Amino acid sequence: MKKQRAVTFNHNPLLKRELPAWRPRIIMLALMGCSLALVGRALYLQGVNNDFLQAKGESRYARVLEVPATRGRITDRHGDILAVSTPVRAVWALPADARLEPAQVRELARLLEMNVGELNARLAAGRDFVYLKRQVPPEVAQAVADLRLPGIHQEKEYRRYYPGGEVMAHILGFTDLEDRGQEGIELAFDKRLSGRAGARRVIKDRRGQIVEDVEAIRPPRDGDEVALSIDGKIQYLAWSALREAMEEHKPKAAAAVVLDVRTGEVLALVNAPTFNPNNRANLTGAQLRNRVFTDAFEPGSVMKPFIAALALERGKVKLNTPIDTGNGRMTIGTATISDTKRHGVITMAQVVQKSSNIGTVKMAQQLGAEEMWHLFDQLGFGTPLNLGFPGETSGRLRPAKTWRPIEQATMSYGHGISTSLIQMARAYLVFAREGELVPLSLTRVDGTPSSGRRVFSADTARQMRTVLAMAAGPGGTAIRAQVPGYTVAGKTGTAHKLEDGRYARKYISSFVGFAPASDPRIVVAVMVDEPSAGQHYGGTVAAPVFSRITEGTLRTLGVAPDMPLTPLQLARRGGDEAASEGSSRESM
Amino acid sequence: MKFASTLTGLLQREGGAADPARAASGRLGRQGAPARELDLLLIWAAVGLLLLGLVMVYSASIAIAEGSRFTAYQSHYFLLRHAVFLAVGIGLGLMAFQLPMARWQQLAPALFVAGVVLLVVVLIPGIGREVNGAQRWLSLGPVNLQPSELMKIFAALYAADYTVRKLDVMGSFVKGFVPMMAVILLVGFLLLREPDFGAFVVITTIAFGVLFLGGVNVRVFVLLAVVAVIGFVILIWTSPYRRDRIFGFMDPWQDAYGKGYQLSHSLIAFGRGEWFGVGLGGSVEKLFYLPEAHTDFLLAVIAEELGFAGVLTVVALFALVVHRAFIIGREAIKLERYFAGLVAQGIGLWIGIQSFINMGVNMGLLPTKGLTLPLMSFGGSGIVANCVALAILLRVDWENRQLLRGGRA
Repeated sequence: MKKQRAVTFNHNPLLKRELPAWRPRIIMLALMGCSLALVGRALYLQGVNNDFLQAKGESRYARVLEVPATRGRITDRHGDILAVSTPVRAVWALPADARLEPAQVRELARLLEMNVGELNARLAAGRDFVYLKRQVPPEVAQAVADLRLPGIHQEKEYRRYYPGGEVMAHILGFTDLEDRGQEGIELAFDKRLSGRAGARRVIKDRRGQIVEDVEAIRPPRDGDEVALSIDGKIQYLAWSALREAMEEHKPKAAAAVVLDVRTGEVLALVNAPTFNPNNRANLTGAQLRNRVFTDAFEPGSVMKPFIAALALERGKVKLNTPIDTGNGRMTIGTATISDTKRHGVITMAQVVQKSSNIGTVKMAQQLGAEEMWHLFDQLGFGTPLNLGFPGETSGRLRPAKTWRPIEQATMSYGHGISTSLIQMARAYLVFAREGELVPLSLTRVDGTPSSGRRVFSADTARQMRTVLAMAAGPGGTAIRAQVPGYTVAGKTGTAHKLEDGRYARKYISSFVGFAPASDPRIVVAVMVDEPSAGQHYGGTVAAPVFSRITEGTLRTLGVAPDMPLTPLQLARRGGDEAASEGSSRESM
Repeated sequence: MKFASTLTGLLQREGGAADPARAASGRLGRQGAPARELDLLLIWAAVGLLLLGLVMVYSASIAIAEGSRFTAYQSHYFLLRHAVFLAVGIGLGLMAFQLPMARWQQLAPALFVAGVVLLVVVLIPGIGREVNGAQRWLSLGPVNLQPSELMKIFAALYAADYTVRKLDVMGSFVKGFVPMMAVILLVGFLLLREPDFGAFVVITTIAFGVLFLGGVNVRVFVLLAVVAVIGFVILIWTSPYRRDRIFGFMDPWQDAYGKGYQLSHSLIAFGRGEWFGVGLGGSVEKLFYLPEAHTDFLLAVIAEELGFAGVLTVVALFALVVHRAFIIGREAIKLERYFAGLVAQGIGLWIGIQSFINMGVNMGLLPTKGLTLPLMSFGGSGIVANCVALAILLRVDWENRQLLRGGRA
């Protein structure tokens, strides 16, 4: 067969003519020409035009990536850490890729402490990208990564940790998931704390994964550390004093603030109820409220010493000037002002000591409305402190022109005007500091403290210290404010709360004072909102809190006692009498 | 078996390089017995391309394989399949090598008809598998068969057979040219219905190339070539799909994120490669940017990872394969084995034109069309068809050498 064909083939006469030999050569040449063209083109692309092409490529897959800066720490005045950022991870998913077996979903839900149904709902969401859980602790994140589930990814983020927990909650505030300050110091100092994110140029694949780190454009600058003026120990003892008062008097809320007289630093600032900043689930507005800054309240009798001081400063009265408080009732226009007890004729100092409304009004009546307004304004009432705290209140101080005589009278004993607790505490610096007022500071003051603004003469301040020491001593309204080993001075307040424009039978008990009375180091202000366990006088509710805080603070600061450590002159029996201060009500 | 003895002989002769007399006689003229029984240059060039192809398919596909649900996230998904295809291709190639060229000539018409039938079957809805709007595949259990790839071999065989049969009337337009023309028009019609424009170009080139080599009247050929070019132009202008591809190629940066997307990424890959490449495995373009990186645009990944040196190697190896194919064809024709000679040159033309078009497309010299890089790109039918074609080429060479030694083909 084969042979036959070969023979046929070779003997076919028509095949004598050869195939043209030039044709394959032409085709070969053409194909080799093509190869040369390819080589030439490759030379051009890879050796000549490569910069242009690489630039085009860069523009497609080079990305500038933000390198997060670590948020700065917050410390107390001694450098103890109050807030620190710890690395955690966010677990996210690409739902399109995350086809998981039911068993895998259950395992993932168990690790993330999530509901299986909730996890499935997230994975079924019609989005390209979904967070499954954020702020996952590193060890849990590692366990999730070890599952090697398709479409489940992680990224680094930071979680703010507050070692002080609820003790520091209100002063520090907190940050949101993106590490931005939301409340408190975290918000007030957000710029300083957050630092500046750096940038890197990286190459990403089309799915966004980084495949190559090209260069660092700018290193991240970590946030600055902020050293607060707060003293951790004082803060803690103020908080425990407040917690005790919360248990004893069952009030709606309470707050306290401790100021350093020399520098204007805030040594402690506490609120109750409080919250755990490390676990902010189920928070209520009441827990979050920083009452020291945000709540303006009618201060009541704690206002009286300023009126007395102004009358003293203006020479209208002296400490021993007799003032007739009559039978404990006094009529101005159609309104009646009353004292809780009839005091008869008493000295100006006793008016403050016994907290007589009538005596105070009589001093106020010797002063002009404009004069009083100017005093209030100088003391900082009606003006926010501008410490950067969110929601800081200015209090309420109406212009003097609009004051009616009865209003001027009630304002003298702290009604018809409102202030925040921190404004009131600061105002008491004028007595503690030889008549000067200094700006407050939430951060540690390292240099020389800023000089103050004079409100009263040093002499007036000194005389007022004597009066206020009397108020906190035997025969005063706040004998329970006393501290073993130290002289204290201060004033109680028991104000009716305004509800719907009427004064209700609800009270805000307060005490603002300083110690040691002979050479003041601290101002302590305490406010208890609606005590509901029977007692409501500032002298019985707020003064003991003041006493506890003051005693602990002075010992912590190492202030030398200015009084022999004899048994207290505090007589149990005198307690109720001492507390019977002049609470009052406007009856119009 | 003949092949087994050939291989042993091959190995012995390889080892026998120490025998200077024999080596020298091999280098001396064609009259002496050839020193080797197979064209080693061709074998090494082809093996080089196949192995480089295997490595580069793995490198180019690793990211998409690892990142896709369809591959079950296995990074070696395409490598494994390519290796299996390669093994099957080499196995089938060994079988094809056993078949004498005379037998191939006998089978040529039947194979061609079978190829046409497959091209019809693939168009039947429900039988042919459609991928990305093109119905090119027949599902055969676990694998898919692409008839157009097989048709390239069949076209080379059939065109050679046809030419040899009509050698005496090659000068005649009606008798020599028109019947082939009709057949190619039929095949072309079927291919364009899929559509598979790339295969259409390659098969037409093979058929008319062989006809040209077989001595068809030059004037007629030129005339028809002109007609064909006009036909191409009409085809291109009547289909918006093909026209878009043309525009994308003219200036990929005009619409770099639209029509020019693929080409622009291919060009970027070349630019990134520079002289010696970013290193094997270092391509960024293959990370989901460049579509079809392991098939049609494999050269771009080679260019990025191995640089100009890699591209030059690939171009040179293809040129070597094509060159050897034409040399083998010429030898056969000298021995008056016209069918064998034309088949060899047809295969050379096929590999030459397809590799040129694919590389030209990768570099933006030619409009983008769906053609793989022969011997290298991922794709079962393509690799198998290439291996069988090489086996036939080697068979022609082997028979040449047998005849020169006085043996019989």
